[in-house]
Amino acid sequence: MTFRTKLLLLSSITVAGAVALVTGAVSIAARQGFERADGQRRSDLLAQLRRELDARGAEVVRQVERAAASAGVQRIAAGSAEFNQAQQESAAQDLGFLDVVQPDLTILSSAHWPARFGYKNDWEIAAEDWHSAGAAFFARIPVPEGPSVVALVAVRPTADKRALVAGGRLVDPVFLKSLGDAPGMRALLWLPPGEVVDAQGGNPDITKLAGLVNAARGRDTEATGTVQWTSARSSSEAFLAFPLEHRGQIAGVLLAGTSLAAQFALENEILWIGVVAAVSGILIGVLLGWWTTERVTRPVTQLARGARAVASGDWSARVEVISKDEIGELAAAFNRMTEQLAEQRDRAIQAERVAAWRELARRLAHELKNPLFPLQITIENLRKARKRSESEFEEVFQESTGTLLAEVGNLKTIIGRFSDFAKMPPPNFEVVDLNEIVQNVMRLHDAQLKAEGSSKIDAQLDLAEVGLRIQADGEQLRRAIGNLVLNAIDAMPRGGVLRIASSREDGHVRLSVSDTGMGLTEEECARLFTPYYTTKQHGTGLGLAIVQSVVSDHGGKISVLSSPGNGATFIIELPVSPGEPA
Amino acid sequence: MKPTALPWIAAASAFFALVILQAESRPRYGGALRVEMSAALNNLDPAEIPSDPVALEAKARLVPAVFETLVRLDESGKPQPWLATSWTHDVARKRWVFMARPRVRLHNGMMWTPTASSLEAPDDRPIEQILREMARPWNAIIVREPDGTLTGTGPFRVARWEAGKAATLLANEAHWKGRPYLDSIEIQMGRDLRDQTQDLQLGKVDVTDASVGTSDETKAEETLALIFDTPRSTPAVREAVALSIDKVAIRRVLLKGHGDITGALLPQWLSGYAFLFDGKRDVARARQLSAGSPPLTFSYDRQDAVLRSIGERISVNAMEAGITMRPGSSMADVRLVMIPITSRDELAALADIAVVLKAPFSFAAAPYEAERALIDGFRVVPLFHLARNWSLAPRVHSWPDLPNVWIGQP
Repeated sequence: MTFRTKLLLLSSITVAGAVALVTGAVSIAARQGFERADGQRRSDLLAQLRRELDARGAEVVRQVERAAASAGVQRIAAGSAEFNQAQQESAAQDLGFLDVVQPDLTILSSAHWPARFGYKNDWEIAAEDWHSAGAAFFARIPVPEGPSVVALVAVRPTADKRALVAGGRLVDPVFLKSLGDAPGMRALLWLPPGEVVDAQGGNPDITKLAGLVNAARGRDTEATGTVQWTSARSSSEAFLAFPLEHRGQIAGVLLAGTSLAAQFALENEILWIGVVAAVSGILIGVLLGWWTTERVTRPVTQLARGARAVASGDWSARVEVISKDEIGELAAAFNRMTEQLAEQRDRAIQAERVAAWRELARRLAHELKNPLFPLQITIENLRKARKRSESEFEEVFQESTGTLLAEVGNLKTIIGRFSDFAKMPPPNFEVVDLNEIVQNVMRLHDAQLKAEGSSKIDAQLDLAEVGLRIQADGEQLRRAIGNLVLNAIDAMPRGGVLRIASSREDGHVRLSVSDTGMGLTEEECARLFTPYYTTKQHGTGLGLAIVQSVVSDHGGKISVLSSPGNGATFIIELPVSPGEPA
Repeated sequence: MKPTALPWIAAASAFFALVILQAESRPRYGGALRVEMSAALNNLDPAEIPSDPVALEAKARLVPAVFETLVRLDESGKPQPWLATSWTHDVARKRWVFMARPRVRLHNGMMWTPTASSLEAPDDRPIEQILREMARPWNAIIVREPDGTLTGTGPFRVARWEAGKAATLLANEAHWKGRPYLDSIEIQMGRDLRDQTQDLQLGKVDVTDASVGTSDETKAEETLALIFDTPRSTPAVREAVALSIDKVAIRRVLLKGHGDITGALLPQWLSGYAFLFDGKRDVARARQLSAGSPPLTFSYDRQDAVLRSIGERISVNAMEAGITMRPGSSMADVRLVMIPITSRDELAALADIAVVLKAPFSFAAAPYEAERALIDGFRVVPLFHLARNWSLAPRVHSWPDLPNVWIGQP
């Protein structure tokens, strides 16, 4: 991972963490605010529900009192009315039900269940409720459609005390709907043993309400809770469970529910705003981090690039100093370092060049000194002979001029070698067969290898069976291979094995020339291709330099494998075409 | 004016008033009778006896107006000649041969000329029984036209028939007893009781059905009964329901004293043995019998206020005995129905009741045994014998004897 990536990652994580922290804090604060508002709303709802039920109860009492005083009920009490007269009185007072009963609770007329005339009223309320004139209360009353329903009941006697009038409103879907007519609010009624009446005619899952209902029934007071109807959070409703109790009997549990969909929608909206803000913040943070990182790491990157350039030999590499901070100082130091390195390199090159000239001069002096001394001696002999007799001079002259010519020839040879190295021409590429060149070279040296008196050298050729045709300068290759063969012969003064092998390998050809001579040390191997370096007594040190020059001009490479006492193997790898890598 | 003229003037005034009054009560020819009924009849084919008691009652009343039988029962239930003028044994005394009434025309104008075989009956049972069977409206003489329509000889002919909806009957001018008073009868079928009452009040109709038990007519022509149609109820549960019903309170409060409490299908005036069928209440016994009773669905005509009250009261009574009877649809376990007494003959009436009950029936049995067979097992629980009730416009006279009904001055 790059420094820039690390820095970018670090800055991004920091920004994201900070944004997430802020978003979470805002979300928690919002939720707590909503919960406080929800609590307040529930207590308001409870107060409103109590007021509403009290008002309904008072209204029921008034309606029943009016019914008890009506002429129709008087006729019922007197036994002179139709069996269903209570229906008319109930409708007149807008009551959900109305029973006119004798003091012994025998039904004289029942509005909601006319067919029960003559039966004893068997509501699940205490007998004293029938004879007291208390406030309205909740009770379960039997109905023809089922076991019983919950009703808000008031009981009043008729004026002549001959009958009791019990009437009220059924806590039915209409009643529930009137209670829960606020937007987002609804009222449910739980009836024992486990039935729920919904004002909207729905069929709520009773099991989800059981806990709340049991809490309200067990504590005999209000209970609050939240019910999530489906897996969607927006289906949640906050419920207030209100037990409908009278004299210890729980007729049912009124459940006032307010939908939390709007609240959750608002929470979700806030959450989404937070998420959008967080994502935007993170995005902006990342962009800013990227921009900052880019600015911070640009000098470092330039330094790294400069270091790589220097490593690859570009001593002129410089880094732009764009700041005055530590990074700027580092860039300036780098520039100073490269300048000093360049200067030191120039000085070293200069010193090496001087050393090379000195070495060249030493070589030239050494090479030229050898022929010059015989030339001097010969010339002095000629002078001496001139002073002596003419015949002797003639003899000496003939001998000396021969010697002079020979030594001049030597001098020309020496100078020619240096001249050849200096004037190495560019290769003239043509299609040549490497195996054929090797065989020609070996034919040139065949006589030398088989000469009488010379040490026994066994030449072995292990050439590729198929011709190795490549694009190369045949003459230069012949000269290079010849140098390697000569070096090998020179390395084996006591005889040995000269082995030349060729092969084609994956887009290039490989030629190895091995000897079983004394071998080379590691240091000698390292300096072997340096011009004018030689391990031989009378070598010019140009042979392997020429070989390396030829191989290099052909786009190939040369290496040596050797160790002292184990001979040496020179390996040349040449591309089939000069443009391709070896 | 001389004082001696005053008595003459008074006498003349009284005479004219009497004449006017007599004219008001004298039958008049003409006019269309508008009838609405709850029943919805698909046809008037006598061969198809409806099992729905409401339709049965309506069809038993309409068929004789269009199709006539060889004999009819008089008010006392005695067979009387009708399309057959007399009947005698054949020579071998193995068949009864009926003499066709002459100069009887069919509704299509053709003379009624029955084949000899259609006027014979095997002498395999008493002639009294044969005649009573022949008197059933379902054995009326019909002629099937090539297009499938039915032609009869009755005082009215079918001019229009919309199955289940409406029908028009026109007076048969060529009826052998003379044309009826009415020109036509317009019938609207399948009308609910509330609409009928409303139409009657608005003067749109002359005759409608009426709630049960509201007539002062003393002669019971219908039996209010419970019919158990589905196998959900066991005989014990059905008996428990029968024993739980407080008929006294129902008659006193809901029927306002109308009708007779009964345990028999046929009224006492018809069978003479109705008192032999016990219909007393025994709640304790009902509770014992109702153990393990499943809830039953219960249907009755909720449009009829009295029937609805009786049905609800029966549910309350049953609940007291531990049986739940909830209001249900037409496929309910129990029905509260008015079964019509369609004949003055016990067996013929019981035969029609057997059709309603979808029970087997044989004319060979004595009436008591036949009725006992229908009642045993409590598939049917008779409750009250009630008069058939209609609501009539003031201008309608002689209802329900259709050939003699006439329309008075409005």
